[in-house]
Amino acid sequence: MNTSNEILEQFVLEARECLEAIGQRLLDIERRPDAPDLLNDLFRSVHTLKGNCGLFEFEALEHVVHAGEDLLDQVRAGRLTYNTAMADALFAAMDHSAELIDAIAAHGQLPDGAMARSRELARALRGCLEGRDAPAAARPAGANAPALPAPPAAPAAAALPDWATALPAGWQPQARPGYCVVRYRPEPECFFKGEDPWQTAQLTPGLLALQVLQPAAWGPLEAFDCYRCQVGFLILSSSPEAYLQEHFRYVPEQCEIATLPAEAAAPQLGDAHQQLLGQRLAQLWSDQIAVLQRPVPTGGTVAAAHQVLLNLLGVRSGLQGADGAALVEARTGMPGDEAGASALASWARQHHPLGPVAGDAPAAPRGISAAAMPGASVPDENGAERGGHKVLKVAQDKIDRLMDLIGEMVVAKNALPYLAQRAETHFRQRELAREIKNQYAVINRIAEDMQHAIMQVRMLPVGTVFQRFGRLVRDLSKRLGKEVQLVIEGEDTEADKNVIESLADPLIHILRNSLDHGIETPEVRVAAGKPGHGTLRVSARQDGDRVVLDIRDDGAGVDTARVRAKAVERGLIPADRADALTEAEAAQLIFLPGFSTAESISDLSGRGVGMDVVRSAVERVNGQVQLHSVRGQGTTLTLTLPLSMAVTHVMMIRSAGCRFGVPMDLIVETVRVPAEDIHRFKAAQTVVLRGRIVPLRSLNELLGMDEPQTLNTEREHAVLVLRWGGEPVGLVVDEFDGTSDIILRPLEGVLGGMTGFAGSALMGDGSVLMILNPKELL
Amino acid sequence: MTAARILVVDDAATIRMYHRKLLGDAGWQTDEAINGLEAVEKVIAAGAQRPFDLYVVDVNMPKLDGYGFVRELRRLPASQQAPVMMVSTEAQLQDASTAQDAGANCYLVKPTRPAELVLTAALLLGDAEAAALAAAAHPIAGVAR
Repeated sequence: MNTSNEILEQFVLEARECLEAIGQRLLDIERRPDAPDLLNDLFRSVHTLKGNCGLFEFEALEHVVHAGEDLLDQVRAGRLTYNTAMADALFAAMDHSAELIDAIAAHGQLPDGAMARSRELARALRGCLEGRDAPAAARPAGANAPALPAPPAAPAAAALPDWATALPAGWQPQARPGYCVVRYRPEPECFFKGEDPWQTAQLTPGLLALQVLQPAAWGPLEAFDCYRCQVGFLILSSSPEAYLQEHFRYVPEQCEIATLPAEAAAPQLGDAHQQLLGQRLAQLWSDQIAVLQRPVPTGGTVAAAHQVLLNLLGVRSGLQGADGAALVEARTGMPGDEAGASALASWARQHHPLGPVAGDAPAAPRGISAAAMPGASVPDENGAERGGHKVLKVAQDKIDRLMDLIGEMVVAKNALPYLAQRAETHFRQRELAREIKNQYAVINRIAEDMQHAIMQVRMLPVGTVFQRFGRLVRDLSKRLGKEVQLVIEGEDTEADKNVIESLADPLIHILRNSLDHGIETPEVRVAAGKPGHGTLRVSARQDGDRVVLDIRDDGAGVDTARVRAKAVERGLIPADRADALTEAEAAQLIFLPGFSTAESISDLSGRGVGMDVVRSAVERVNGQVQLHSVRGQGTTLTLTLPLSMAVTHVMMIRSAGCRFGVPMDLIVETVRVPAEDIHRFKAAQTVVLRGRIVPLRSLNELLGMDEPQTLNTEREHAVLVLRWGGEPVGLVVDEFDGTSDIILRPLEGVLGGMTGFAGSALMGDGSVLMILNPKELL
Repeated sequence: MTAARILVVDDAATIRMYHRKLLGDAGWQTDEAINGLEAVEKVIAAGAQRPFDLYVVDVNMPKLDGYGFVRELRRLPASQQAPVMMVSTEAQLQDASTAQDAGANCYLVKPTRPAELVLTAALLLGDAEAAALAAAAHPIAGVAR
């Protein structure tokens, strides 16, 4: 049963892969309908899926997939032209298949009533064949699908002697592999030697069955000698042969012991099976003749066919009973000996003297062009592992565990610098402190490499999220009556799995927004002098340790007048401030919570959950969203995300006697600002940095601590310049305190509601570091 | 006698697993390749020291299909020649004929009954015992054809 489950799991896994590939190919083909390689790819995926279905009795699934395959086969052969109706039917069929696969994965079987829907979909698919009948294809799948598993057992070890194969009929159920059969034929004079054959036979260890073997003829009654033993015994025992040898040790010459091989009871073939074997044998024999008679068999073909002929002869000579052999002979005229087969082969060789057959013949791989077989030109003598990527599929939780462990290790290693410091200051062990530092450097390097390597394992191409977009854009634009072309770029860009997964929902929301509000209907577009079909471009690229995603449409852009009005109407912003906003700032208003400009609530977007959901989702993974919109030309949303979010690099700072961490990726620079350079205007403070005015905020003030920020001996303030919504902001702190890698743990329990903090981290010295969330603070 | 070595060539992982399970349970050693190209590489890598004794090959595969594989195989030295069993869902006559032209020794139509696959493999390998076992395990319906 286990194997069957294993195969079923594999089936589900591969079926899902197939369905994903099919969905992708269907979209590709819509874009490039004249690419034959795409059609072939599509066909192969459907074909693989159908082939796999055949292993199980998933009739409803196979029925619909089969119909899809038939349709695609016609298209591939050029007998039908691919069209949208077909695409729709195929999409519907694949959606249904995916549901069935999910059901199989969950319950191991198809849901009740699946067949009805399958029939309907299959009919739709066959409808695309335009009345073309496909009777062969309509064969019910279950008819010849074998049920799993019925594996035959291992082959017999050694041939059994005749007497041991012909066991009495009643013994079959008991005869198991490894059991022994004993034929015990006491010698006639045994009674005079103090032997008791009946007793000996009955005391056989592990005795399961006993049969008395009578002599061929008892002879005339007058001549019967009751002191001569004429009978023998056939014994079936579950004991190993060695025990039986021990038991019969006084009469070894009168005993024959045979161990039943695995499934040895079976080869006693019935007539029907005998006939089947003969039939297949005959079939294969004539197949070989046919192969040899093909126009130009190569040398290798002749050699292989010859080999098969010899093998078949070998099997035939071993056939029990004359029936099978006679049958074979009658059907094929198969020669009775090996000479016949050799003669046949040599006939073929003469007939087609093209190919050398002998083992040492220079049958170099002539026809194999280097182009067709990359890598094949370097045969490896040892047959060692070589070539190609071996792909290992690992459960995700195992990788997550690795990631957790390396995270712990990164934190643990951070204890070493503290230890070194203590060794020096506390114990006055400068030498030791230096050694600890050296060791720390080594461990640090290894840990970083390891972390990097594990992170690589978790990296996925962002294209895995993009895949579903094609379908989404296709369906939505159809429903909205818009023509939209989706262009995807840089789908190979990699990022951490968690980051990618967190992206899926925001991206879909953005796409919906673009389709719904951004891109206009064809008429409006044409009137505006733009091409009738809109273009939605999703591109990904890596920029340092960030992944940047651009979602660009060439639609109407954000209607800032409407946005302003809406924001005021909803009370999100006072009217006078709304008017004072620049165009760019006004467009940002759509990120405010509760903002929605959709005038009619469509089922696509504008259900009140607006772009603020997108922004918070992106910010949850330490990402940023930027919007750039030009009226009439389109909108670009840029998502900037970290490659990974497992380990956070923080800068530690001191303020009001406490230590805090600030995520490095928000910090633009650290500067020391002389106190007299700070300009005060009412409550606001600013400083001019490189010709740019940077507003300053005091951390103590933001945290509600009643202490002024302290100055260093040169009367300078320590200022962290942070990136905040595209503008720099200075955060005034007391002192900088180096950097550290931490694992950010979200605040829980009573601390959970605190704003201004991203979480906490355990430091190497056992202390807890509070990590600030400057976005909430400012 | 060492167990026969069988190379299973199929792009569908489920089918590979299924075939290897059936053939492995019958007592043979199995290896696999995911397309014709990888199969040729495996055959060459196996060399003359430990050549395969049987190839169980799918037809429709990316990169190099089953026919292509058999054609390439048949051009290799005689030491690497072994029977080829093609297994495909294509039930048309011309497919079987193409298989023969390529140099395949027999052609089975998927889905294969376990006993059918093993029986055919046993016959091609000349393994009388395995053949008898497989024949005995064969659901007998459909014998009289």
